[in-house]
Amino acid sequence: MSDSTMLLALFEDIEPAANGIERLHEMGIADDQMNVISGVPIKDTILGRPSALSHVSRIALTGAILGFLLGAFLIWGTPYLFPLHVGGQPLYPVPQFLIIVFEMTMLGLMGFAFLGMFVDSGFPSYTPKEYVREISDGKIAVLFRCPSGEERKIVDALKKLGAESVNPAEARQL
Amino acid sequence: MSALTKPLFAGSKAEEQEDPKEHLMHDRMPRGEMNSMMLDSMHSTTWKYWTVTGVLAAIVATCLFYAWYYLIMNGLGVAGVNRPVYWGIFLVEVVFWIGISHAGTFISAILRVLKVEGRRPFTRAAELMTTFGLVQAGISVFLHMGRVWLSYWLIPIPNERGLWPDFHSPLMWDFMAINTYLLCSTMYLFLPLIPDLAMARDRATGWRKTLYKILAIGFRGTEGEWKNLKTAMNIFAFAIIPVMFSVHTIVSWDFAMATRPGWSSTVFGPYFVIGALHSGMAAVAIVLFLIRSTMKNMKYFLRPEHFELLGMLMLLVSMAWAYFYFNDYLVPWYGGDKWEKILTNFIQTGPEWYLWYLMLFCNVVVPWAILWNRKWRRIPWLLAIVGFLINVGMWLERFIIIPETLTINRMPFTWRLYVPAIEIALTIGNFAFFFLLYMLASRLIPLIPVWEVQEGQESHVLRKIGKARISAVSEID
Amino acid sequence: MPKELQSPMDSANPAQDVQGIWGMTIDQDLCTGCQACVAACSMENNVPFVGEVDAGYGRSMQWIRIERFWQGSYPNIKATPYQPVMCQNCHNAPCEPVCPVFASVHSASEDLNLQVYNRCVGTRYCANNCPYQARVFNWRDYMDPRQRPELVTLSNHWNPDVTVRRRGIMEKCTFCIQRIRHAEDTAASENRDIRDGEVVPACAQACPASAITFGRINDPATKVSQAADTSRGSHLLEELGTIPHVTYLAGGA
Repeated sequence: MSDSTMLLALFEDIEPAANGIERLHEMGIADDQMNVISGVPIKDTILGRPSALSHVSRIALTGAILGFLLGAFLIWGTPYLFPLHVGGQPLYPVPQFLIIVFEMTMLGLMGFAFLGMFVDSGFPSYTPKEYVREISDGKIAVLFRCPSGEERKIVDALKKLGAESVNPAEARQL
Repeated sequence: MSALTKPLFAGSKAEEQEDPKEHLMHDRMPRGEMNSMMLDSMHSTTWKYWTVTGVLAAIVATCLFYAWYYLIMNGLGVAGVNRPVYWGIFLVEVVFWIGISHAGTFISAILRVLKVEGRRPFTRAAELMTTFGLVQAGISVFLHMGRVWLSYWLIPIPNERGLWPDFHSPLMWDFMAINTYLLCSTMYLFLPLIPDLAMARDRATGWRKTLYKILAIGFRGTEGEWKNLKTAMNIFAFAIIPVMFSVHTIVSWDFAMATRPGWSSTVFGPYFVIGALHSGMAAVAIVLFLIRSTMKNMKYFLRPEHFELLGMLMLLVSMAWAYFYFNDYLVPWYGGDKWEKILTNFIQTGPEWYLWYLMLFCNVVVPWAILWNRKWRRIPWLLAIVGFLINVGMWLERFIIIPETLTINRMPFTWRLYVPAIEIALTIGNFAFFFLLYMLASRLIPLIPVWEVQEGQESHVLRKIGKARISAVSEID
Repeated sequence: MPKELQSPMDSANPAQDVQGIWGMTIDQDLCTGCQACVAACSMENNVPFVGEVDAGYGRSMQWIRIERFWQGSYPNIKATPYQPVMCQNCHNAPCEPVCPVFASVHSASEDLNLQVYNRCVGTRYCANNCPYQARVFNWRDYMDPRQRPELVTLSNHWNPDVTVRRRGIMEKCTFCIQRIRHAEDTAASENRDIRDGEVVPACAQACPASAITFGRINDPATKVSQAADTSRGSHLLEELGTIPHVTYLAGGA
């Protein structure tokens, strides 16, 4: 987009970062035009940000259902395909069903939660991204899209609120 | 007249108020400094480190891999197993290592769910034990099998024979449960590691840069990424707890399902789970002591308060273990059938009677005698010794449950003692492999979850109530 | 006993396609403990010799063993009768459900307990779970003349009807299933039923005292079911509910 630039404001602490985000709101920058990058998770309400959307739970639930079905097939489906009698036990036993289905459901749940985290966050990705290494030293970065022409005003406002630096964000190899 | 009816306790007035800086959570340090301390300890390798690593690698190559090759080529005759002791030290090792692996999940999942703040610096060290312990358990299963080259027949995949594995068998439950646990605990180890890998990526150079860049999978720490990560970690923390319980319960069912005196017991499930935690907690104490005393900068992260927390857990688990053991002991002793009584008698007065007393000494007497004392609990080397003794005791407990119990069966004509042979070398190899993996990991991945420590430090404040300054935790996550 | 109070395990084989249940009686009053059955079984079934050291350590592989116990010291010895023990071919065999790879399975039609050598991966769970300790394990390649030339004494006398087993697998008495199959094939080719006494396992054939009788125990006319039906009969560890197909006869008339 030619009529806007990406800026990255770096804050030392949570308090100035929260104030900075509030100021950005007042200056007409919408929530979907900004993102917060931090070295520790910070609750959205602390920063006055809307809650981020996550599909991980739903993907995990799908995995649990698939795991349940796989488990049910293994314990009750395979004896149907190749019936073999052992020790006077039924071909389709119930206690063993509970055990196998439990393990497979849990495997599906957690396996898909793991995969869901990858899919929903777009991992793994090795393309250049807007980032500075100070973030993993505990600084908080606010990345936002700023309408062109207003950079000066916004930079001054954020610096007044305690931003360490406000620079044009450039995507670089992580 | 004095306002007191009783004199003051002599020490109470003179006792200094505790320095809040003693607590990691109140001894705040900028994140950048913590990062460089962590990375510094990963980069520093002395000649001692390489010597120990080399010796361990040599032991693994000979005692584990060469001995295993010899075992496969010659058959199980080179081991000590016989009739009726068909299961020997290999199975002892399986149960032992799965037990060790339970501590990682307990500390990182249960303590995370319960928000025990003291867990923060050592969750990763414990989780690594889970994964590496399961590796040893898996190797021991393979060592045990008569035709290990056909072990893939246990995997439920379609094949040209049209045959599936038998899910009636407790060994199949075990196969499914251990695989689930291994996969899930490895994923659970990786999730909280991602931000630390990203941290390492930001500062590393050379081959480490490439390694961490790949492993950190492009994590930056945006709101969405944190949200997804926290959601996944939350799912894991809750879901892996029942899986952990099921794994050792199913291991116990391998024994409890059999129609054998001494094995066919309904208390085996919870008894084994507690036994697993007993040896696991103790092993965490040993590992934390080793990390703290051999790695740079670790005295900042791992403090007496953490050993104290661990000591309390160890004492608690030891009491629970004694409770379950007494349950398992009393019922056959009082009303059990003929064979159970013969077995009890054999274990306590037979040729290996001293193992039984040594087990009780290590598992109950030692922890109860030492860990009740707060001052003693805070001494890392003492806790490591207690941990070592508990592990000796728990190993013996499994030895008594497997080869000793198998000696006695309902056909007295076949009773025979078990004398280990190549198992001894392979056991040494197993232990060496565990420590070798740990040695390598300690220099490759951050052993302290730095971001979790920072998160904890941010949520702790000292609140002034009256004259005292008291620690308060705010739930910022 | 009223039918509804009967244990469900007592109700024989539920399968409709039972062709005949094989069983055995062993008369302990006739047995002299001469070990001829042990030798004959080993020859018939290619059971290897394991050598002095391994045998002394509890690794002998005979499918049948003769148990005897005594109390006191010579000459005041009180001895029990000789008791040959082999796989009891249980109806509810504890060894079967514990095998993860279906190496130990049940023959529904003949109620035999089968061991499939080439499926076995050697977990040895079945042997632990056998209350009779009837299973034996190939601890080494005892049959390989390159490895143990001193043990392979009769390598030209291997029975071609029986598989030679290698190291790492479990085996046990099969009731000489190769002889059962041979008799069944002969009877089928002659378009008749198997006659009583047509199948004789090696142990029964070799027994000089005729203490072992073999046949179909679901047919009341056979010698074996008549012998088993007397008050002299009992089963080993009957209280476990495994329903063994070997009946021991002792005492009385």
